[in-house]
This record gives sequence, structure tokens and C-alpha cells, in this order.
Amino acid sequence: MSATATSLDVVRELRAICGEEYVVEVTDKPANIHEDPNREIAARFFEHSFLVATPASTEEVSAILRLANERSVGIFPVGGRTNCYPPPRNSTHVVLSTSRLTEVEHYDPADLTVGVGAGMTLTRLNEIVGADQLMFAADPPYPERATVGGLLATASHGPMRHGYGGVRDFCIGVRFVTGDGRRAKGGGRVVKNVAGYDLMKLLIGSYGTLAVITSASFKLFPAPRQTKTFLAEFASAAEALKFRDLILHSPLSPMCLELVSPGARKLMRPEMTSDAWVICVRAAGSYAVLARYRKELGSAVTRELEGEKENLLWRKIEDCGLWDCIDVTVPTSEVAGVLGALDDAVSKGVAEYAALGRIGLGHVRVVTDIGDFGGPSPTTTLISCLRDRFQKKISLTVVTRGVNPWPITAPHPASMRAVKQALDPNNVLRGREIF
Amino acid sequence: MGIPAVVDQLRKIAGRDAVLDRPEDLMLYEYDGGVRKRTPAAVVFPQTTDHVSQIMKLASSARFPVVARGAGTGLSGGAISPEGGVVVAFARMNRILEVDPENMRAVVQPGVVNQTLSDNVAHLGLYFAPDPSSQKACTIGGNVAENSGGPHTLMHGVTVNHVTGVTVVLPSGEVVRFGGKAAECGGYDLTGFFVGSEGTIGIVTEITVKLLRRPERVATLLAIFETIDDGARTVSAITAAGITPAALEMLDGWTLRAVEAACHAGYPLDAGAVLLIELEGLAEQVEEQAEAVREVCVQQKAREVRRAKDEAERALLWKGRKNAFAALGRLAPSYYSQDGVVPRTKIPAVLKFIGGIAEKYGLRIGNIFHAGDGNLHPLILFDPRDPHQLELVQQAARDILEYCVSVGGSITGEHGVGLEKRDLMPLLFTDQDLDVMLSLRNAFNAEGVLNPGKLFPTTRMCAETRGASRNPVLAAEGM
Repeated sequence: MSATATSLDVVRELRAICGEEYVVEVTDKPANIHEDPNREIAARFFEHSFLVATPASTEEVSAILRLANERSVGIFPVGGRTNCYPPPRNSTHVVLSTSRLTEVEHYDPADLTVGVGAGMTLTRLNEIVGADQLMFAADPPYPERATVGGLLATASHGPMRHGYGGVRDFCIGVRFVTGDGRRAKGGGRVVKNVAGYDLMKLLIGSYGTLAVITSASFKLFPAPRQTKTFLAEFASAAEALKFRDLILHSPLSPMCLELVSPGARKLMRPEMTSDAWVICVRAAGSYAVLARYRKELGSAVTRELEGEKENLLWRKIEDCGLWDCIDVTVPTSEVAGVLGALDDAVSKGVAEYAALGRIGLGHVRVVTDIGDFGGPSPTTTLISCLRDRFQKKISLTVVTRGVNPWPITAPHPASMRAVKQALDPNNVLRGREIF
Repeated sequence: MGIPAVVDQLRKIAGRDAVLDRPEDLMLYEYDGGVRKRTPAAVVFPQTTDHVSQIMKLASSARFPVVARGAGTGLSGGAISPEGGVVVAFARMNRILEVDPENMRAVVQPGVVNQTLSDNVAHLGLYFAPDPSSQKACTIGGNVAENSGGPHTLMHGVTVNHVTGVTVVLPSGEVVRFGGKAAECGGYDLTGFFVGSEGTIGIVTEITVKLLRRPERVATLLAIFETIDDGARTVSAITAAGITPAALEMLDGWTLRAVEAACHAGYPLDAGAVLLIELEGLAEQVEEQAEAVREVCVQQKAREVRRAKDEAERALLWKGRKNAFAALGRLAPSYYSQDGVVPRTKIPAVLKFIGGIAEKYGLRIGNIFHAGDGNLHPLILFDPRDPHQLELVQQAARDILEYCVSVGGSITGEHGVGLEKRDLMPLLFTDQDLDVMLSLRNAFNAEGVLNPGKLFPTTRMCAETRGASRNPVLAAEGM
């Protein structure tokens, strides 16, 4: 909503809360958008101007939300905007940016815990804890811009999810302001805690529809002293999945286990001409442990990467096609069906697809905005092929990122609505768009 | 509707032999593993999700409170019935419905005993990770309600990290399904929110759990220390060395002597404290870590570090740990157990504090706990026949939990809040925090039919539950 379209009273009151310079109309694109590999899509977010309020504290967030409730103004929370969905054109939302909520609330390296403001970027967080040889174990796309709050709100993840779990597994506390302006918290600062409802779980993946997360506490992990990545190439997806099963049934417990389709490989390295499916296995440990991995993985391994080259590969995998992609999650045994559905889509005119993902966990990310797609809407074709294959046999979660964060079938809409009503009764946060 | 009429209806729903209402039968359901008691009005044993749904519809229309019960091993009074309440006991819903080794999942009914699931999938090389000390008796439904832990949750996480789907009966009787076999389901994580909600949101009737592959190698070490302080410092030294054991347990000298007398686990009788440390994973990794842990222990003045030679020795060491609560039963008629949590680095300080509390109140307090995640279990011995002692014990427990919170910890790491700690919730949470939690409870259980009087402080329930004075169900909130 442009400042001119927002009631001047509201703008004045927002400025009274945050300070004059922190309530501005954003009309131009941020400088770094030109470095964004998906800039065309990213730019859509900024095609129309918004009023952006940037509060400096939980108190200010609460004041903004109370004002929004009183004046029926919609609020659209954002972090680093690496994984968010533009408010609908002509919507009346004020964008609430968490970029000033960056303080360290507590850092206890000997306890392996940290608590930071929602606006802190993941790169910054890892710089802080890295000094003590610790690691924040989430590696979603674009960590230089992705924030802690955004990571939680979108339940985003990267390849390390295979070995360390998702953010739901290591977020130990959260502070937030509910849609109706109540400041509250769940959990705490210790690694084991069952006092009260697990509000971390409720807010993780809620896409800013229930509350604005203002800070969170996490378990940290010792940073691995040495890692190695083993690459195995296969002529078909079926062979690659066989290799995955071998790993899943072995005593190995890699940090990352990722599938990269031929299309995804080309997306990461356009000069690539090979049509091979690749399984990437990243392991941590001593020389003896890494030698054991090599032995167990056997003759399928065609390359081994360490150091800079290894890091570069994983960064490319992390960042591969964030915008306009679909995330499919199924039980691990159904991944073959998902890949089959992608082939079905090709036979229905989708020119090419890029697939990659945490296949040890049943996750496949499909990037749809590459190459020359035949049909007008490759995403729709892909979803319809997935539906045809699975029908109602299993629960199939498809999240179309860049369009709508919710799965094609919500787990239980009435319960979701009841929760929304409890925390954001006036639908201030992102309005009714999700339901 | 009076109790006889309710019992009649319950029999129509679940069968004539599936309802108890004679006082001598009900007495068995008046307690759990905590210290509170209350006799329920009736106990019903549903056999299907539909039975549970019909029971909830009846409860909502006839307005009687309902509490779900697994094996009654809980330590926070979560399964104690409110006045005039009906206990829904899951002894007859104890089937493993599906084992899916390919996806490493099992689907179970809530009455399945925790250990039974692991026993049933052992031939596949799989197991269910949460391992409360009561795992031979406690049920997976109860584990879900309380978000139970256990020694090995240090590496593998608590129950919520191992549940991917639940079928839930809401107070209205509606049956809903959250999650499934997949690692995530999109939309709000209602599965994660439900786990640990202590029976206040709905009743779980089917649970999809993760199964883990048994590790290739396990090393179990017993590190023996002259003083409790040396043992306590070693806990954070191990973590600082970059090692996450599968389990890291501590027993103080007084407790291990009591345990040794009862279990003959091979614990040293003259030690100040021992650490029981378990490492698991790839053989090469475990051997390296075992050596590193041994070095850390020696640096921290361990007198000796023993390693279990075989599975029999390992089982014996664990038998001592897991039967410790029972062993202390030899020393006093009863004990009161708390499970406060502190940051790991505060363990030496909190143990000193507990020593001071024992002295202050003239009580005997043993310490046997999940040191690796700072989850204490001070066991306060007492005689429940002496009301003065019970009062002292509760005051001592409160002092200890206040201290835990003051150093950045929590009032419960795995036992839940239930009845026992509901009035301590304000130590951790502000009025507004509790208000948000209460609004979520009311989103599903506004009339308080399900497990009233639990989790929220008494004062809050009386003040903020609509129409409490007129509604017999809500009047029970204050219990």
C-alpha cells in the first residue's frame, strides 16, 4: 500500500511508534536485487510500492499490531525477503520489516545455545558462533540475506536438514507478538523443556499469519572439523534411488544426502552437458571415518570434493532455484513416484525440469522457471501430474513457492482456522489470503 | 446427567465389560507416578477411535470432564481425574497397526507400551528412540501427551522429534488427522503443537512414529569421580570437546550406593559421583569418541573410566540407572521427583544449591539425572503419612525449581506440568504468555471438558474461564 493510499493518520501514528525515518514508502528496488539470480521474479515484489515500517523492538512491533487492529490495517511481515510472497497487488498491507531486530539476547557457547533477534541474518549468526567452532545447523538459500525470523516463519531448509533435522528440531524458544498485539513467548533457553504448549512448532512454517516472531533461541552444534563430499553419477533416477536406499540401510549417517537431476545440474552450471543423475553425500569426521564412507559407498563414487570446491558445490545446491519452484514432500518410498510424475509432465509438454532435494527425507524441489517450457504454466501441469499419480493413496504435500506458501491440501483447515482465530482474530496478519 | 446414567451410556458405547464404576476398582485409577490422588467417577476402556469420539460427544453434551490415561506412570499428575471425571484408559487400544520399514515408520494405537514397539521392530534392526525410565510400562499415547524424554533424547530428541502424524478426537467428538508418514506436511504444524499438550487439546487415538536404525556400535562408559563437583564439571567439558554422546547420565554418591544395594549394577560404593556415558554410531567414530571422552574425564579428575565389555555389562549399567527411582523406594516410603532444567554449565552450582536445600529442610535428596541436557531429577525422600513432611518436600521442590528458572532454566524437561507444577508456570511465563496459551487451548477445548485444571495456574483458570462458577465442568478447573 502506498503511503499516499494509507490514511495519513495511520502513517503519522506508525512514525510516532518507529521514528520518522523508519516508516517509508519503498518504490525502488534494493541494490542487491541486481545480483539476484532470479531477479526478474524477485523484482515483481517491488513492482508496486509499499509502506514499510521497520520497528526497533518487540514493544514497537506490538504497538504497530495494536494500531493495525484498531485501524483495520493489514500487516505483512518480512525478513530478508528471500522466501516470501509478495502481498497481492492492490492489497492494503503495510510491510513490517524485522531488519532492525538484530540483537544477541544470549550466547552461551559452553551450553551450545544462542538467542538472537528475528532480523539477524544467518551468515551473521554463523560468524558469531563460528568463532567458537560452533555451527547454526540451518542452510537455507541466500544466507547473507535470509533472517532467523524468516527461516522460522517459512520452515525453510537446506541440504543439512538430512543430518541435523529441520529448524523445528533445534529451535528451543521463541518470542513473538500475536496478530492482536500480545507479546508472548514459548519455550526458553535450555535444550530440553516441556513447560507449556510448544509454540515454536506452531509458529514454524506459519508464514507470518499468526504472529510476528521477534527473537528465537536455538541449540547449536559443534562445527565439523573436516568434511568430504562424495559424488556418484547414474544414468537414471531409478539407479540413483537404489543408491540412496543403500545409504539409508547402511550404518552411515551423512550430514547431507542430496539428489541432483540433469536439469538441476544444468541450472547450476549451464555449461554442463552430462545427462547423469547425481547423488551427493557429505560426511564429517576423521580420516578413518571418511575412509569408511568411501569404502561403504563403493565403486559408484566418481568424484570426491573437499575444501573450497566442496563448499561451492553445496552453496550452489542450497541456492538452486528458490523462486517459482514447488516443494514436494512424500514418504521416502514414494520419491520414485514423484520423479515419475515429472516425466509425465515432460510428456505433456513441459520442456524440461530441474529436480533436487533431500531425498533421504522424501523431499524433492522442482524448479519450473528454467529453459523454454512448452506450456503456459508448467507448475500447473506438474501438480496435475503429481495428483494423477498419487490420487489419494498417500498424503502428498506440494508447496508452490513464489505463488502460495500453503500445501495444495491443508492438513485440517478447520483446525488451522481455529488457531488463526485464537492469535489473529481480526485477520490483520496477511489477512485472509491463506484460507 | 448423573453418574449412573453416564455409566450406562458409556457401557452402550464401549461394551458392558469396558466400564468400571465400583469404588474398589476405581481406586486403581486414582493416582499416577506423582503424589496427588483423586478417585474418578468412572473408567472407560474404548477399543476404537469411534468409541473415543462417541465418549467425547457424550462428555460435551452431558458436561462431565474427561482425562485420558495411558499406563499412569506420569510424574506430574497429568492423568489424575478432576472431581466427577471419567478416565478414558487406553489399555485395550494397544495394537501396533502397521510397521513400514521402508519408510522407517510405525503406526500405533496409544496404548502400545513404549518398549513393546522397540521389541516388535528389533528383528528389522529398528527401534523407537524416546526411552523414558518407565519404558517397560509407559504407553506411547502418554509419551505423546507429555512429550516424554529419556536418557537417549540427548542425541535423538524427545517424543515430538519422533512423531510425524496423529489422529485426534477433539472435545466435540470430531476426528481429525494431522500429519502423516512424510517428514513434513505443510500448513500449521498441528502435529508438533499437539505433542506435549498434556491432554488439553484432544485425545490421540493413532500415532505415526519414526523408527531409527540401531547403531553399528555402542560404547558405554562409567566414569568414576571422587567428588560430585568433578563429575558435574566433566559434563560441560565433554560438550566443549565437540562430542554429543547418545546419553550422559549422572548419579551422586549417595544415590549410587542405594542403587547398587538394590540392583548390583557394579557401581563403586565409595565414589562421590559417576557419569554413565553412551556413544553410538559408526564403529570408527565411536572408538575415537570413546577415547576422547576418556581423556576429558581423566583431565577432570576421574578416578577411573570403565567401559562395558559386552551387551550384558551394558545392560547391567543401564539397569542400575533405569531402576534408580525404584531402588530409592527401599530407603523411604515415598519420594517426590522433580525434573527442572538448567543450562549444562550451571550443573555444579545447582547441585550445590540442592545440597543446601536438603540441609535447610532436613531432607534426604538424591540426584540421578540426564546431565547431558541439564535435566535434573532431585529425588526427595519422605513419608506421605506425615503431612508436615509433604509440605516441606513441596517447598523444597519449589525452591529448587525457582533456582533453575533463576539461572535461565525451566521447571520441567520431560515430565510435563500437569497438576504438580501448574502453579509454578508464572515463574517462567508472564500473564500474557499464559493468556496466549489459554486462547489456544480454548480454540479446541473452550468448555474445559478435556483434562481441566491441568497445565494452567489455578488463579488463572478461576479468573479467566468463562462461567466457571456455573459450569460444573469448569468448576473443576480449580480442582
